[in-house]
Amino acid sequence: MTSTLRRDAPVAVGPGRRGVAVPLLAASAVLLASMTVAVSVGPAGIAPADVWASVAHHLTGLLGAGTGTAPLGPLLDGVVWELRLPRVLTAAAVGAGLALCGAVMQSLTRNPLADPYLLGLSAGASLGAVSVIVLGISLLLPVAAFVGAFLAMAAALGLAGSLGTLTPGRTVLAGLAVAQLCAAATSFVIFWSATGDSYRDILAWLMGSLAGAGWADVAIAVTAVAVLGTGLVGSARTLDAFAFGDAAATALGIDVPRTRWVLLTAVALLTGGLVAVSGSIGFVGLIVPHAVRLVVGAPHRRLLPLSALVGAIFLVWADTAARALFEPRELPVGIVTAFVGAPVFAALLWQRRTASAEL
Amino acid sequence: MRLHPVLGLTLPPLLLLSACAGSTDATSSTPVSAGPTSSAAEPSATYAPFTADDCGFEVSVDSAPERIVTIKSSATEMVLALGAGDRIVGTAFSDGPVPQEWAAAADGLTELSDKVPSAEVVLATEPDLVYAGWESNLTAEGAGDRSTLSGLGVATFVSPAACKEPGYQPEQMTFEEVFAQIEQMGDLLGVPEAAQELVAAQRAELESITADGRGATALWYSSGDDVPYVGAGIGTPQMIMDAVGLTNIAGSVEDTWTPFSWEQVAQDDPDVIVLVDASWNSAADKKVRLASNPATANLTAVVNERYLVVPFAATEAGVRNVSAASDLVAQLAELDLG
Amino acid sequence: MSLHLDRLRWTVGGRVVVDEVDCTPPEGGLTGVLGPNGAGKSSLLRLVAGVLAADSGRAVLAGTDLLGLSRRDRARRVAFVEQESLSPAGLSVRQAVLLGRTPHTSRWGSTSARDEELAEQALLDAGALELADRELATLSGGERQRVHLARALAQEPELLLLDEPTNHLDVRAQLDTLDVVGRLTARGVTVVAALHDLNLAASACDHLVLLAQGQVVAAGSVHEVLRPELIDAVYGVRSLVLEHPETGRPVLTFTPPSRGRRSAVRAEHPAGR
Repeated sequence: MTSTLRRDAPVAVGPGRRGVAVPLLAASAVLLASMTVAVSVGPAGIAPADVWASVAHHLTGLLGAGTGTAPLGPLLDGVVWELRLPRVLTAAAVGAGLALCGAVMQSLTRNPLADPYLLGLSAGASLGAVSVIVLGISLLLPVAAFVGAFLAMAAALGLAGSLGTLTPGRTVLAGLAVAQLCAAATSFVIFWSATGDSYRDILAWLMGSLAGAGWADVAIAVTAVAVLGTGLVGSARTLDAFAFGDAAATALGIDVPRTRWVLLTAVALLTGGLVAVSGSIGFVGLIVPHAVRLVVGAPHRRLLPLSALVGAIFLVWADTAARALFEPRELPVGIVTAFVGAPVFAALLWQRRTASAEL
Repeated sequence: MRLHPVLGLTLPPLLLLSACAGSTDATSSTPVSAGPTSSAAEPSATYAPFTADDCGFEVSVDSAPERIVTIKSSATEMVLALGAGDRIVGTAFSDGPVPQEWAAAADGLTELSDKVPSAEVVLATEPDLVYAGWESNLTAEGAGDRSTLSGLGVATFVSPAACKEPGYQPEQMTFEEVFAQIEQMGDLLGVPEAAQELVAAQRAELESITADGRGATALWYSSGDDVPYVGAGIGTPQMIMDAVGLTNIAGSVEDTWTPFSWEQVAQDDPDVIVLVDASWNSAADKKVRLASNPATANLTAVVNERYLVVPFAATEAGVRNVSAASDLVAQLAELDLG
Repeated sequence: MSLHLDRLRWTVGGRVVVDEVDCTPPEGGLTGVLGPNGAGKSSLLRLVAGVLAADSGRAVLAGTDLLGLSRRDRARRVAFVEQESLSPAGLSVRQAVLLGRTPHTSRWGSTSARDEELAEQALLDAGALELADRELATLSGGERQRVHLARALAQEPELLLLDEPTNHLDVRAQLDTLDVVGRLTARGVTVVAALHDLNLAASACDHLVLLAQGQVVAAGSVHEVLRPELIDAVYGVRSLVLEHPETGRPVLTFTPPSRGRRSAVRAEHPAGR
């Protein structure tokens, strides 16, 4: 950076454009390594080398260059290719999407306690999912969950918007109202119609679980994150302008109400899609943006993509722990994220007690 | 830290109720071992006062119960099998139709509720005994808190096999355990001879069962799609599988039923799969799911359709277990294990 | 740039807050907008900045009606600094100032080297260069004010709107702020600032607009507007206008209303209580 200004002390040059690439590459490498390790972990005692050989065999087969016999028998091969790999990929996509949505929500509402489920999304999705589980038509689960999330979002945004302009405070409160309503309805459905078997499914869904994630789930999650996530990451500069308040953002040329509507809808759609696949996994969207912000600061050009990557890494490891800690029993991954996330959150609050932030 | 809104409302009650998951009952379509004749058994002229420590609650009954409310099919059918069906004033939470042999006796029974009845509804029948198949049926939110009912002069009894607390949960369910419970019930109802008859008949049938000698491994698949819920090592499924001659791949898990993992199933690749048939989760549905899930489609048992079907009823300790075991042996004998 | 506010009007909840305000702040000077609380000073500035939508009227800057422009185009010409700005965590001073370049950078692109240069320059002009790498949230009120000013300067505005810029500042900081503004006006930027401190306005402004209940009561030079009868009419206080021995500008001193009455009472009862 050229400058003709006189300076008394050497001033460190801001990260600028160069500062994004290195952390992103590093995080991507860690994600890849994490996924590789995660795929080789599981109760069926398959040697890691065989796992990767099997994956490689499938990949070359997909690319049309498949030759030779599969390294594993059909059963164990099925374990790797149908159980573990889709699950790890789904975990990465869901983690990335949730963290990204959380970061955007926190900036849009200027509320550090915001998470992707703010608009009552998870409550609405839960209502949809639980209804389907209870009715015994679990095949429709992702659809019902997504529809539930979408309706909840529409209700929340409609409620907030009907009160006047869409301010952060109104958004939060409307979301809370819708969430409480959906939660009550969900409880009613459970008590009225659930039988012994469906309680377990319901509980797993409410806590968030990646068990049974198949390639269809991978397709949904990855597509949602790729399409909507790219849009969200691209809004980085706009989100930066929100930092000083709505008036300052308007004075900087941002159409605040319209931007808020568009971004909230995008977050809702993405979150709805993810929740449909994995249930309402908590703490990823809340904690990861804070942790990333601590390291790279608030500017969204680095915060958003890095949050996505760190979220992916976090959930891949959380799901691996959920699978492996109590073999052959599995925990719903939401329990692991809560156990890890809650103390981390408490630590974050403690650490910020001296900072003069608006908490 | 904000509590997850849905969980904050639903988790406590769910935990309460799911603690009792796994013990339900339904009808059996297989012939049941000969029990007492269809004529109602009269209580003994002299009733021996009954006391027991039932799931940690002191039960003390001085005269034969005449007005019985039964909750869950396991309880209803136990009373019917002991010939005391005419003393039932209400049933609830049935898991399916009553088997043929007792259908006549069951015909006039009043159904109080298709789920757990409220305390008020139960008390309106003026019972002197409430006999529940699950521990969780007897809570204040359910049919009534046990001490409260006792204070009102209503005795309560929970199937001992359904006790969850350590010390009360049977360490290992056995047929002797089942028979002992039948006899205990006979004492409580004042029909000890009917109980002895029933036990003798069931024991005879049990002894006539020859366990399959091929040492097949099996998965007892009760429910669950993403995460299978299977019969584990210490409960009724294990008891039945032992009698049938099947080795339970989840037998090392010290629980009655347990969530399991498909990956573990794939590694163990059981020879046969026992499918629990319930009206809300049928064996046919399970077969379709197993075949269409790419993770399970390659299991030997799925490929060769080596399935055994057992009605939901028999998965709880009660008067149906013996007949279920003998039926499973018959089904197993027809399978070619290759 | 010449600015002409043409019959701006804004009502909210049935109440007229800005009532047909019509004035012409001179080009390249500091215009102070005065008036008691609720007179509509803040609202007027927000109307021109486009933060509030006017019911009618125009704000013409160098021949273009600002209110007819797109937000982005307006933001390239007009910068606005609020009274109270949030201070988000995790933002450094340099990053905050760079945000001022938002209207000039493309939506998807990142900041260029020129943007960073301009930000540096803005920091220098606002006297905040030494704060460049500090965290925004750790600054004092005065330091933060300078940073927000730098952010506005980074926008390269033709018109700068300041809403009570000296509110929480000590005397030295107040004078420094006005000094920065003075250098800006020397470069030809038109600055309009809402001020509550009449003496500060008297010492620094080239032109004054006095508002009361949303209407312009007086507009003109400091001598024309800061007259006791006008101040009494608008603020309801009695004042004395003196002349600063060095600068010749008006210096105001105020007479609290109660003491005047009490002394009149004492004069009637010389024995006192």
